Amino acid sequence: MASFDKKPTFAGLKLRLMNSWMFVAFFIGFFLFWEYSVLWFDIPLYILTPPSLIIENGAADLPRLLDYTLVTGTEVIIGYVLAVVLALPLGLAIAFSTILKRTIYPFIVCIEMVPKIAFAPLFISWLGFGLLPKVIIVFLVCFFPIVLNAILAFNSLSEELTLFSRSTGAGIWRTFFKVRLPAALPQCFVGFKYAAINATVGAAIAEFIGSDEGLGFYIQIVTGNMRPDLAFAGIFFLTLLGLCLFGLVTLAERLLIPWHISVRRN
Amino acid sequence: MSNQIKFSGVKKVFGSGPDAVHAFGPVDMVVEDGEFVSLLGPSGCGKSTLMLMTAGLLDLTEGSVSIGGTPVKGPQTDIGIMFQDNTLVPWRTVRGNIELQLEMRGISVASKRAEIDAILASVHLEDFADRHPYELSGGMQQRAAFCQAMIHAPNTMLLDEPLGKLDAMTRERIRSDLQSLWMEQRPTVLFVTHSIEEAIQLSSKVAVITPRPGRIERVIDIDLPYPRDYEVKRSPEFSAYVHETQEIFRGYGVI
Repeated sequence: MASFDKKPTFAGLKLRLMNSWMFVAFFIGFFLFWEYSVLWFDIPLYILTPPSLIIENGAADLPRLLDYTLVTGTEVIIGYVLAVVLALPLGLAIAFSTILKRTIYPFIVCIEMVPKIAFAPLFISWLGFGLLPKVIIVFLVCFFPIVLNAILAFNSLSEELTLFSRSTGAGIWRTFFKVRLPAALPQCFVGFKYAAINATVGAAIAEFIGSDEGLGFYIQIVTGNMRPDLAFAGIFFLTLLGLCLFGLVTLAERLLIPWHISVRRN
Repeated sequence: MSNQIKFSGVKKVFGSGPDAVHAFGPVDMVVEDGEFVSLLGPSGCGKSTLMLMTAGLLDLTEGSVSIGGTPVKGPQTDIGIMFQDNTLVPWRTVRGNIELQLEMRGISVASKRAEIDAILASVHLEDFADRHPYELSGGMQQRAAFCQAMIHAPNTMLLDEPLGKLDAMTRERIRSDLQSLWMEQRPTVLFVTHSIEEAIQLSSKVAVITPRPGRIERVIDIDLPYPRDYEVKRSPEFSAYVHETQEIFRGYGVI
């Protein structure tokens, strides 16, 4: 796998900076505009706070923010891992079973049409304010993209590779592990990544609806207290959480399918 | 053991009822041990269909195929097949792809190291063994695919337009490689192509196939000395064979 290694070099870093300076400049410009427009347009601090104040007040409330990041993070991780662990085998089973394809598959496609978030109030009312209803919501949000992409993945082996596998006389397990599984991984990762992006959305909304801890709860409470600065701090940590999960999935993708075009292109 | 391939009344119909498509046959033909036979015909005439039926990867509607006297029922594992699109997997190197053929058959890779090196060298790919397919040119990919298809040393080869997607110069080079390999090892080869020149240059016999439903119009014995290099291709005898074949296709309005 040596040919995939790209060692970071000083020249490479310089090139990347050269290519991204416009973006960096825009980014800084955006926050400067935000910072000073609050002053210039005389916007009340309970409507919008400048970024400097968000950092200052957020830092002061850091212990609570970190606690709640841990709470929401736990919901996200459990829900996501559960979705992967259950959706992947189910997708595999549906891909290879005519009976499941005619029964469960259309059912899953129908449920996919329903916005899963709409179930959140029901689960809260059934299961209370604790961890479980949030995990279920995150699970529901993540489960469907993973299962649908897995079905697609395991059903799209090329005609040639199917014929090749048969021509070798290999059994189903050997064919699965040596050909079908590696060929399906790129499409599976499309589902994993999509689910990773949506996991924090599910957790935050579930917490808005009924919760006494977590970043969603925090954002809702501080907004009610006219503290947009703290709300932004909460949003920042929620974003960070989402980025961490997405980063982990991307890292797994790089390790598992370094040969794939989507990885090589980056 | 004989590797004679015998087709008796082979016919293929896809679908059934009013939508049925009569794709191929009936065809009778014998490919003798060690012969290089081309199936030459326009696209859609069922050449590839016949190839798949020979490999036991597609059921016959009527008739039978036998290899070495044994009727083909189900996938044949002791033959080498090259498909139109190569079967190199992107997650393995060239060497890894060749090993895949062995691993799928449950053959120990360690015991075949020397054979892998030898077959790579025979197609001038020894320096690219640790490259991935996407790092190779189209011609090199086809060479690698050839190694993958032949590493288990089959005595019968089915080649389905293996050079179809290559540029003219690369085709020319790989053709001569293929010819030397056949002259050296004398496997029985069934070669699908739609190039008249390619068929005549390589084959001991050319089976000219009609447009759909494909039937064998004529089997032409190509009585030219091997190796058939550039000199042979410029000879009047070669041109006469090309002409004879072209006349058949003109009769069908194909060219």
